Amino acid sequence: MKLFADLLASGIAIGAIYGLIAMGFAVIYKATGLVNFAEGEMSMITAYIAWTIATTLSGNVFVVVAGSIVAAVLLGLAVERFIMRPMLGEPIFSTVLVTIGVAVVLRSLITLVWDAYPHALDVGVGKGVAHLAGVGLRSAQVAAILALLAIMTGFYLFFRYSKVGVAMRAVAADDRTALLMGVSAHRIHAIAWACSSAIAGIAGVLFALVYDLSPAMFQIGLKSFPATILGGLDAVNGSGFGGVLIGVVENLAGGYLGSGMKDVAGFLMIIIVLMVQPFGLFGEREIVRV
Amino acid sequence: MRSGDFKETYADLVILSDSKLVWGWAAALLVVLVAAPFYVNAYVLSLLTLVFITATGALGLNLLTGMTGLISLGHAGFLLLGAYGYAIAVAKYHFPPLVGFLAAGLAPAAFAIVVGLPSLRLRGLYLAITTLAFSYIIANLILEARSFTGGARGLTVLRPEMFGLDFSSDPAFALLCLFVAVLTLFACLNISRSRIGRAFMAIRDNDIAARTMGVNLQAFKLYAFMTSALITGLAGALMGIYLSFVSVEGFPFLLSIEALAILIVGGLGSSLGAVLGTVFIVLLPEAIRILFGLFGGSLEKILSTGVHEVKSIAYGVVIILALRFEPRGLVGVWRDAKRLWTHWPLRY
Repeated sequence: MKLFADLLASGIAIGAIYGLIAMGFAVIYKATGLVNFAEGEMSMITAYIAWTIATTLSGNVFVVVAGSIVAAVLLGLAVERFIMRPMLGEPIFSTVLVTIGVAVVLRSLITLVWDAYPHALDVGVGKGVAHLAGVGLRSAQVAAILALLAIMTGFYLFFRYSKVGVAMRAVAADDRTALLMGVSAHRIHAIAWACSSAIAGIAGVLFALVYDLSPAMFQIGLKSFPATILGGLDAVNGSGFGGVLIGVVENLAGGYLGSGMKDVAGFLMIIIVLMVQPFGLFGEREIVRV
Repeated sequence: MRSGDFKETYADLVILSDSKLVWGWAAALLVVLVAAPFYVNAYVLSLLTLVFITATGALGLNLLTGMTGLISLGHAGFLLLGAYGYAIAVAKYHFPPLVGFLAAGLAPAAFAIVVGLPSLRLRGLYLAITTLAFSYIIANLILEARSFTGGARGLTVLRPEMFGLDFSSDPAFALLCLFVAVLTLFACLNISRSRIGRAFMAIRDNDIAARTMGVNLQAFKLYAFMTSALITGLAGALMGIYLSFVSVEGFPFLLSIEALAILIVGGLGSSLGAVLGTVFIVLLPEAIRILFGLFGGSLEKILSTGVHEVKSIAYGVVIILALRFEPRGLVGVWRDAKRLWTHWPLRY
């Protein structure tokens, strides 16, 4: 029982990080209809910027978090403005491939600007162990779970009550009609990229706090994309939940069935779920016209 | 001067190209490619072999993603199955290489039925992730079945000897790869003009409309998966022989993405595009390397610490720019050039 509780808790913690990045995928998909294959790289860059702030400017946790969020937003805006916006109206395949190109560039930038060695991100907090009902978690892991809950609530309110959120849903539902109603698709796309980059950045910093920085960190993007599919590509909060689900299933399978089953279990679950729900757990069923 | 494209016999309709000029140029290219392995140095030869193998694999993926419109992120899995199919048959059970190639084609094709079944229910990216999931599962199964596959240690493969010919020398092996690539190209060109190919394209353009026109979706989607897996499996076997070593690390997930990049840079859905894309993507790092060599001295000194990174940044930037300025892919450039050539000085 103790093992189960431990596996469950750490599964939820890593799942929360997957979930955050998965939400980043979903936000961009919802607003622009694209999959951003550079999501993991963007989160890695932000984590490295956080490390630079922590080692050169100030190790204060608030300074580091605020600085890295600002950096992530700027990165998202820059990618949207200079790389993605010129591709508007081009075939969707080509546009998605451009994000893969961005991923290659960002990945190499890491080793060019920083280096290829692993680093520990130290902001004074995050390494301490918090005990809750007999289960020990690092405070950074608790922070990841709390961040996921906070951002999920935020998105729920954003999409329901804010003008920009409603506009984003309108663009997602039908961008041409939204344009006719006076919604600026450009601005919505820019906001989506900025939001997505910020969420991924937060996830990256939390990941770095728990597992250290390394140039291989971009792989959390690859691990989180299936979570987006599980939750439903256009379901932002559903993707967050999908991440937690994958984290828990992976951890339980890794703990009880051996480490070889860890990756496979998550993917097996996705196949089974998609067989029953072809558009993910919370995704909207696509209605096709002939 | 021809004033139009007139088909007078059934043979005219069946023939791949009715232009003698096209056949002439194709034959000239083939002669050059056959002769090249005996004249170029070892390094160029290895690149050439890589281009042939990659072209085979890209044509296989093009059949599924380009022609039928089913996105696959799991073709690295089929490459693995093909490589292991050959390695297990030949290196472990000492069957003749021809049987090995048969196994390399049939094992992925059989597995493709399992992978293809979800495609009857899923669309777009949901299907892409399912194929990705299958490729991870294949890799893990291979790692787990140690007694059969050698697990993480992999299997060693020797160059084959078939039809009384010895393919152990590098030029001979390059010719074998060229033979397979040309065969695949012809197969793909012919499939695309047949009833099956038309059905594939109908499914890509609108599957519900295709279904109402009497295309059996289940059968043709599975068929596309199987054919694509078979060709990719052959490419995997060749790749395994080329590396002379088969292991799970030899076929990383990124190969699947690179294959998609080849198709899109070349021009999705066209066999010519798959070949052009292969040449472009495989030779791009070399071109960048040569370019750096030209501007050499000073540049190299400044970047002495990060040459490798600068090169891969250049690789990414070239892909972004190529798509930015020619989203139709290299096939678009080729068609524009051809039009300019035939109609000059007129524009149309």
